[in-house]
Amino acid sequence: MTNSEPSGPKKTRRWVLIADRIADHTISIGGTLVIAAVLGMMVFLVYEVVPLFRDGKVTSHVEYDLPKKEPAVVALSMDDYKTVSASLSKTGKVTVRHVKTGVTLQSSELDFGGKKLTAFSKAIDGDHVAFGFSDGTVRLGRVTFESEILPSDQLPPDLKKVSDKDRTDGQSVFSVVPGDQIRKITVKVQLADEIQVSEDKSPIVALGYQFSSFGERPRSTLATLDAQGVTTLSLAESKLNLFTRKIKTSVEKTLLPPLPPGVPATYALVNDVADAVFFAERNGKVYRYSLKDPQKPVLAETVELLPKGVELTVFGFLLGDRSLVVGGSDGSLNIYFLLARNDAHSSDGLTFVLARKLEPQGAPITGFSPSQRGKTFATSDSQGRIWIRHGTSQATLIRLNSGTNKPLEAFVMAPRLDGLLAVGSGGRTNYWGLSIPHPETSLRSLFGKVWYEGYPEPSYTWQSTGATDAFEPKLSLTPLIFGTLKATFYSLLFAIPIALLAAIYTSEFLPAKVSGKVKPIMEIMASLPSVVLGFVAALVLAPVVETWIASFILVFVVLPVTLVAAAYLWQLLPPYLALRLQGLPKFLLMFLVVGGGMFVAYRLGPLFERLFFNGNFKVWVSSGTGSSVPFLFLLLLPVSAIVVGFSASRMFGFKFGRYLRELEMPYAAIVDLLRWVGVTMVAVGFSYAAAVVLNLLGVDPRDGLVGTYVQRNTLVVGFAMGFAVIPIIYTLADDALSAVPEHLRSASLGCGATPWQTALWIVIPTALSGVFSAVMIGMGRAVGETMIVVMSAGNTPLLDLNVFNGLRALSANIAVELPEAPKDGTLYRVLFLTGLVLFGMTFVINTVAELVRLRFRKRAMQL
Amino acid sequence: MKIGAQPLDKHTENSEQVETQYGETEEPPTEVGAAVEEGDSETTAGPTTTSGHEGVRPGKSSVWDFKARGEPFLWGLGGCLVVGILMIVGFVVLILYNGLLTFFPAPIERVALRSGSVAAGELSRSEQYKPGPEVLAELPAEIRKRISENHDFAHRRLYRIGNYDLYNEDFQWIPDYDITGTTRPKDLFHVERLEWGPFIGTIKSLDLNGRVVSGKTLTLDELHTKHAQAVKRRGRIRSIERNQIAGVNYELERGRLKLRKIMLANGKHSAEYLKAQRDFEPRSATLEARHHELAKEAAALKEKDAKYTIALADVNGKEKLIKLSDVVRLFPANDLTFLQKVEIYFSRWWEFLSQDPREANTEGGVMPAIFGTLCMTMLMALAVAPFGIMAALYLREYAKQGRMVSLVRICVNNLAGVPSIVYGVFGLGFFAYVLGGSIDSIFYPERLPNPTYGTGGLLWASLTLALLTVPVVIVATEEALAAVPTSMREGSLACGASKWQTIKYIVLPRAMPGIMTGLILAMARGAGEVAPLMLVGVVKLAPELPIDHFFPYIHLDRSFMHLGFHIFDVGFQSRNSEAAKPMVYVTTLLLISLVFIMNAVSIVVRNRLKRKFFAGHF
Repeated sequence: MTNSEPSGPKKTRRWVLIADRIADHTISIGGTLVIAAVLGMMVFLVYEVVPLFRDGKVTSHVEYDLPKKEPAVVALSMDDYKTVSASLSKTGKVTVRHVKTGVTLQSSELDFGGKKLTAFSKAIDGDHVAFGFSDGTVRLGRVTFESEILPSDQLPPDLKKVSDKDRTDGQSVFSVVPGDQIRKITVKVQLADEIQVSEDKSPIVALGYQFSSFGERPRSTLATLDAQGVTTLSLAESKLNLFTRKIKTSVEKTLLPPLPPGVPATYALVNDVADAVFFAERNGKVYRYSLKDPQKPVLAETVELLPKGVELTVFGFLLGDRSLVVGGSDGSLNIYFLLARNDAHSSDGLTFVLARKLEPQGAPITGFSPSQRGKTFATSDSQGRIWIRHGTSQATLIRLNSGTNKPLEAFVMAPRLDGLLAVGSGGRTNYWGLSIPHPETSLRSLFGKVWYEGYPEPSYTWQSTGATDAFEPKLSLTPLIFGTLKATFYSLLFAIPIALLAAIYTSEFLPAKVSGKVKPIMEIMASLPSVVLGFVAALVLAPVVETWIASFILVFVVLPVTLVAAAYLWQLLPPYLALRLQGLPKFLLMFLVVGGGMFVAYRLGPLFERLFFNGNFKVWVSSGTGSSVPFLFLLLLPVSAIVVGFSASRMFGFKFGRYLRELEMPYAAIVDLLRWVGVTMVAVGFSYAAAVVLNLLGVDPRDGLVGTYVQRNTLVVGFAMGFAVIPIIYTLADDALSAVPEHLRSASLGCGATPWQTALWIVIPTALSGVFSAVMIGMGRAVGETMIVVMSAGNTPLLDLNVFNGLRALSANIAVELPEAPKDGTLYRVLFLTGLVLFGMTFVINTVAELVRLRFRKRAMQL
Repeated sequence: MKIGAQPLDKHTENSEQVETQYGETEEPPTEVGAAVEEGDSETTAGPTTTSGHEGVRPGKSSVWDFKARGEPFLWGLGGCLVVGILMIVGFVVLILYNGLLTFFPAPIERVALRSGSVAAGELSRSEQYKPGPEVLAELPAEIRKRISENHDFAHRRLYRIGNYDLYNEDFQWIPDYDITGTTRPKDLFHVERLEWGPFIGTIKSLDLNGRVVSGKTLTLDELHTKHAQAVKRRGRIRSIERNQIAGVNYELERGRLKLRKIMLANGKHSAEYLKAQRDFEPRSATLEARHHELAKEAAALKEKDAKYTIALADVNGKEKLIKLSDVVRLFPANDLTFLQKVEIYFSRWWEFLSQDPREANTEGGVMPAIFGTLCMTMLMALAVAPFGIMAALYLREYAKQGRMVSLVRICVNNLAGVPSIVYGVFGLGFFAYVLGGSIDSIFYPERLPNPTYGTGGLLWASLTLALLTVPVVIVATEEALAAVPTSMREGSLACGASKWQTIKYIVLPRAMPGIMTGLILAMARGAGEVAPLMLVGVVKLAPELPIDHFFPYIHLDRSFMHLGFHIFDVGFQSRNSEAAKPMVYVTTLLLISLVFIMNAVSIVVRNRLKRKFFAGHF
């Protein structure tokens, strides 16, 4: 194909050069791109994960002054799209403003009937409010933002322009949104009829309001304290009359036991299930009522949550009504949980437990605004600073400064956590656009122990979805990493011995003809789809193991014993016969022996179960009844066999060898057999004694290593995953062993070593690094294996050592949860992090394996 | 090769006693080697020098160092190998046995129970089990005694009793102690149905459009002919619904989307949109009319079809009337010749390979899954081959060999070991959401917010698997390239060939078998991989195949079915894992055969490469 002829200076044809050039570039660029793309995977994973660890950031900031003559604002609220805000003043004036410019769109007066407002409370959902008046009445109200999407051609004419995108007709705001559409936002304010809470018409001094909408009817819960010290819990079920647009309310009142006389409580709180009511004084003294039995409310506890001399300034719930936020005039901010404690000094066994101490703000905390989504909240201090924090991760996400150096009148976070509006004294107003995509994640919340609401103590928990809106995802990767390691450990515990020993036997002791047949069988298993293994493990193996668990355990004892016994019996064979049957016949005999051992284990299973485990293993293992000695004995057996065997050979081995040599052939073998029997007996006795001693010391494996039996458990996973890993380790180890140069073997054998000595002292040490690399690669596969763990591990994210319990591995977690995770949400990114962790783990393992392998290769070349 | 050993005792050299006694310890190794070769092994263990000469001192004492022989250890090693092989063989036998026998028609047993009632079904399997204490408490003392004698174990049989619609259960465990007798009546039929699984019972009568055939007049032949006609009718209805009506719908939808695209591009009041709308109206009207017509035809056929019914009764006399066309297959299970059984066996296989799944995938066939697996594997191979080979060529032939390249090589080797699920995560995040999302917003705005490429699909699944297998191909190709002797490259270059010519005509052809091996191995791995596919486009039931007769014929955006996922889905997500098991076994058999065949092919190719390589070595 070359076109340059040896004779004559002919020119190379042009297309050859062009093709060469093109190929040059295509291959270089293409090749680099492919490699870059493959490596880029990691970069992409990191890119997706990084936002999890970012704090929030401010995306925009506007500042403006409101007219000075406005009365003081008691509450602010803002719509989902941060377009309009509604502020509520002490006198009942409602002013609707455009958020980003401060333009007043509409202002109206709520009809309080001339009564004086003495207490006010806002429910956590942000739009339900309650007003308490000087005549002992309470009125509920609601500020709602109605938004509707209109096609662009329905935009009413004659609108006043407010900003670039927003127009108004004096009532509603029309914003241009992508897709050629208009969003119309209207503020609606409703005020319900009054409820006479205080019988003797004394002013309401403290008011706690909670609104819950689960069940069919929305329900308002009110905790009130009047000037006479009468505490009341009122449940109001509201119904909106569709014709009159009036809210009709039916009220059910419960009088709580009175507070000690003369308590000037200023804060009242009630949770949405109305079984706990708190009143707090300015000095930090908290009175807790328990309504576990709604008919018999009791004052369960009185505690001081703040040190002496510190004034209570913030007292409120985070979403879910389980985290109590307590802020003081010393700038401290703590979160308390109400938990059952044995040392509780209360009538119902519950008490306030300080769960989290948050970063102090440096100045007295004055304001508090919880989010309607998750555990994020904002606090303001007397210097006009606002910090946005997260209750669970305890992180301070954003620090804002309104620049007034004075306490704020009111502030509110946008419902979607992407903005904050603060009104300062004198009408100074700040608006910040925020971006806090993942407030709840931090290294600590993902890997460390976290004290979640409702949990008695900090724990590692993975629970990504829950039934209610107030559910907080618990995303600790620790149980998943533990699950992966547990599955890997048990599968390797099973796979490494079998694979390595089998590889040594194949490469060193099996006739070439036989090993040439055995190897492909094992190799082809390496390509077996793991979904098949998972299916067999979960649907076939797991039930069988469950029924025959005793036999299954017994096999691990019986099989080694039968094999060794067979070996000693084999020694009885006359030498010429042993030589003749050396290869395939011996190997086939091993099949018989293994088969026989399994059969024996199968037959002896029930007997074994009766002798060792009171006749029922599953009951024995989960109930804790029956003695733990037999199981300890089994666990200690291998250890004691090794110890006894080793020390026996150390102490008597040499003498015994000399003695044996003087014996006639069959007798020598018989004596050797007897020696083994003796040693085994001693080992058994030793192990039993150790088990008894340990048992007396109070060691019971059922506390940790074994426990309640679940059908899809770690044992099954270990077995199935071992099955997947064995062919890989086997093939690679066999390759490494075969790569040991033949002349080393020849030299060793020539010096008079037996094949066993050659294998043990020459071949294995030489191939050790290659074998190690094989094990590492097997481990890498076990760590990342997905389908087997998905199918046969039960997928319970537990931090439990128990072999008979299920687990959830990192890989399985991705497979189970990622398809349902909304794009770019926290769970989605955490699952990417899971992938990255998995990637990192296998990358390290594989790199180590690869480096060791390269070293081995170099060494093998030198030999 | 391995030289026959002369396993001397470790201590022999020090032991004068031995030497004086036998004086043969320094026998030349060759002699031993010869003696050893008489045995059928190259290696030997155990006997000392004297053992080779059993004739010299038969049975007399010898130097036996059992420690050096290490017999117990050898048996330990061998035992592990045996366990490994037994596990594998056991596994393959399990799959083969269950997979191959599933479709063979089993006899139906009529079981009379201790309680006086009867049940009928196919014997599925039997096992030893431990009855719970509450069960034992209700048993007569005699049976209890027998069980306790048997180490608390009892024996029970699992019958597939079918008739799910009547009993809400299609499997029943019957303990041996409950059975008073079993018979195999010849009039029991196994009726496979489109819905509710099999019916096991007798045939009462046939209603053929008003003509009732029952009793003696109802022959098996007539049953089969009428059933064949009913199946034909069903096929006709299906063809109208699935092909013709679906075609019309497809046309309509395409027209609507086109219109919407024009509207989005030019605005609602633009001339283009109005014109397109005017053009579309008559076309849409014709299509609507055609749709109506077809629907009417299908309804008429259905009405006729509903008049052909079959009345069935189970062993307890409960009756059930179903349409004849709802019957897939019926046969008197206890009255079949061997040939008939074989015929049913193969017809079931054919149904399995060529039909769509039914009943939440637990019955019917797996044709869409086979098709999806093949499509995906082929697409993956198409994507992985050029890129993998290109990268390997670059690494081996173009890049400057140095620290950087070996680092890249380590990374590539490493990536071959990265868990497949991680690739799945990447595939979903990058291919489907980032790339697919962009494609959607640029090319398919009219379909938004429904994603076209912005979700898992055939293309993304193939690309994900291509990424997963590209390291395998790179490594294999590199090895194949390295195996081509440098002398050949140099010869070619010395003759004046350009680099590309050398690669194209000298290097690549010689490396081709090695590359093919790598590629086939990659395909085998891809075909068996499930975990990443669960994230990027596999579904339990795909309504449409990725390739069909509607333009543009190959629909890369569609989600698809996959054999491996089918196993997972049927085995774990179906209402009754017992009923699904046979299906899972057969699917497993199919998948394993597919993977094994690919592997076997690659081994054959590898062996041929070796032969060619050694022959051509100079």
